[in-house]
Amino acid sequence: MMIPVRCFSCGKPIAQHWEEYKERAENGESRKEILDSLGITRFCCRAMFLGHVDLIDTAAKFKKF
Amino acid sequence: MEIISLTQDKSKMNASFIIKKIDPTIANTLRRMIIEEVPTMAIEDVEIMKNNSVLYDEIIAHRLGLLPLTTDLKSYVVKSECKCEGKGCARCTLQMTLKSKNGMVYASDFKSKDPKVVPAYPKTPIVKLLKGQEIELVATAELGKGKDHIKWAPCMVWYKYKPIINITQANIKDPEAVVKVCPKGVLEVRSGKLEINQKKLMLCNLCAACADEAPNSIKLNEKDDEFVFYIESFGQLKAKEIIVTALDMLKKELSVFEEALNTMK
Repeated sequence: MMIPVRCFSCGKPIAQHWEEYKERAENGESRKEILDSLGITRFCCRAMFLGHVDLIDTAAKFKKF
Repeated sequence: MEIISLTQDKSKMNASFIIKKIDPTIANTLRRMIIEEVPTMAIEDVEIMKNNSVLYDEIIAHRLGLLPLTTDLKSYVVKSECKCEGKGCARCTLQMTLKSKNGMVYASDFKSKDPKVVPAYPKTPIVKLLKGQEIELVATAELGKGKDHIKWAPCMVWYKYKPIINITQANIKDPEAVVKVCPKGVLEVRSGKLEINQKKLMLCNLCAACADEAPNSIKLNEKDDEFVFYIESFGQLKAKEIIVTALDMLKKELSVFEEALNTMK
């Protein structure tokens, strides 16, 4: 859905980097380089970015109960 | 006790330092005081007036709770220790409002009555609104402690023994093999001798792979009274503030203990 505000494992706030990450990844930059330059060093935080799928636009099409 | 400052970055949010001549108990006390006792601001109650976004009220409230807020320790007190006896007053809580109608809602859209307490990372997305969707809420932030909920913890903090590698050259048959076995690249061969790369020494995590490779010539950490501390602030407080406040809190706890001892017969 939305990128989590913090890393699940270590608690570091990561959501503020999401839009920059997404934009740069779409421009074809390697994900490793983006994460390195954003200062996301631990593998727990890095996995949050690599595994995330932004589904909010899809979910928004359906009715909320 | 001897303290050596190693690094501090430009934002002063991250720091590392070495403490010498302490034992693991004291090192861990410092770590736990930092995580559990240093107060910070975080959103605790959310009153939602309007929300027809895709996310449920609870999810939005949960996201808001996790936002780090810049904290001014001088003008707030912890709610349970406040004169209002936990009812919530201007000394221990702060009202923030969020109202938005279109597009991505960011943490920076929050209107706070206190300019010193605002979301530490303004670019944090909270929810995405489509056409016709809107959100309106009042959030109450309060000063709390990490022992009650991790959202009030000020930073990541961890320590390790300071790496000390003793190499006696006598019977290392193949120095290259020892270099290869180190996952952090701490060792190197200089003019046929096995040496430590001082720039990388702090990366050593004492895995002892080198000592296994050359059992009689390499010895790791024969002393265990030197610690390397790392502090990585979540954004509420600066690294230095965190350590100083943690030590103040430790002093306070100890004086409470002392008082309790004095009343004992």
